[in-house]
Amino acid sequence: MHGEYKMPGGKLVVMDLALRDGRLADVRLSGDFFLEPDTALPAIDAALEGRPVASDDATLAAAVEAALPAGTMMYGISVEAILVALRRALHEGAHA
Amino acid sequence: MSRSEWRDHDWRLIHAAPQPPLLHMALDEALLTEVGAGRRPPTLRLWEWAAPAVVIGRFQSLRNEVDGEAARRHGIEVVRRISGGGAMFIEPGNTITYSVYAPLSMVEGLSFQESYALMDAWVLEALRELGIEAWYQPLNDIASAAGKIGGAAQTRRGGALLHHVTMAYDIDAAKMLDVLRIGREKLSDKGTASAAKRVDPLRSQTGLPRAAVVERMLDTFRRLHGLADDSLREEEQVQAQALVKDKFGTDAWIADVP
Repeated sequence: MHGEYKMPGGKLVVMDLALRDGRLADVRLSGDFFLEPDTALPAIDAALEGRPVASDDATLAAAVEAALPAGTMMYGISVEAILVALRRALHEGAHA
Repeated sequence: MSRSEWRDHDWRLIHAAPQPPLLHMALDEALLTEVGAGRRPPTLRLWEWAAPAVVIGRFQSLRNEVDGEAARRHGIEVVRRISGGGAMFIEPGNTITYSVYAPLSMVEGLSFQESYALMDAWVLEALRELGIEAWYQPLNDIASAAGKIGGAAQTRRGGALLHHVTMAYDIDAAKMLDVLRIGREKLSDKGTASAAKRVDPLRSQTGLPRAAVVERMLDTFRRLHGLADDSLREEEQVQAQALVKDKFGTDAWIADVP
């Protein structure tokens, strides 16, 4: 499943993932945003991996926030934008 | 506030003969590390490209951004850089690329936008002197009324900031669109339906040869901030070659975000 979200005033945020046993799997965030340090990217993917697909946005956002390395800086991307891209990917998947 | 200014630093210029795309990726990391560690003075590096390339951003998906088959057909190497931002389509005579390796003290307390604006200011002045009214377009573009001229990206390492910019001198838009997958979503708030229209090259706006544009840019930097000629040191070249072999040339790096 694939979802894209061009954050207003920001960059393109892309989510690719699969669903296995009702859980998010193979979660892969990508895009032309800026993220420091770059280890924040795999940390975000790992924070979402295995979460029940029924999780609400607040739960997923909290999981991502908690996984970010100390002092992470985002430019052109936000936790909210990541969740929009995720929801779009899941929506697309639901109709596939 | 102890923020330093351009003139507080002893700026060096590296403008070497054409180098392969992977070596450019590695030189950015090596020189950023050297400036960050205080072993090299702040430096401006003007790139000369030895071969065509697609340079994707640190966080871009290789598969989503690049048509690998089209890239092979056109003989275009795909490499990944250390900064975020978007894919760049490079043909040697068509592109002007440079890197600024600046001490972090120059951007202390600045927002990202202020930091891009600060690092882009000298080149906007150079473009103005070439007759082009250009401006910094947040988040990371250099734009003119006729269209986008270039894009910047920054990353930080140790005590230094890398600010690198690729500007289109000329462009083969058909080939670019063949190789890059530019999605609709990306263009959704740009107010244009055609990706090719998004980039307006310097050639049409200056009527000058590429080398003359580069020379004028360096003149402007030198006049505004001071700039002494320098070259790559032996150990920097060794370090960069090692990075090509162990990092930038590996599938693990290029397909790090598959």
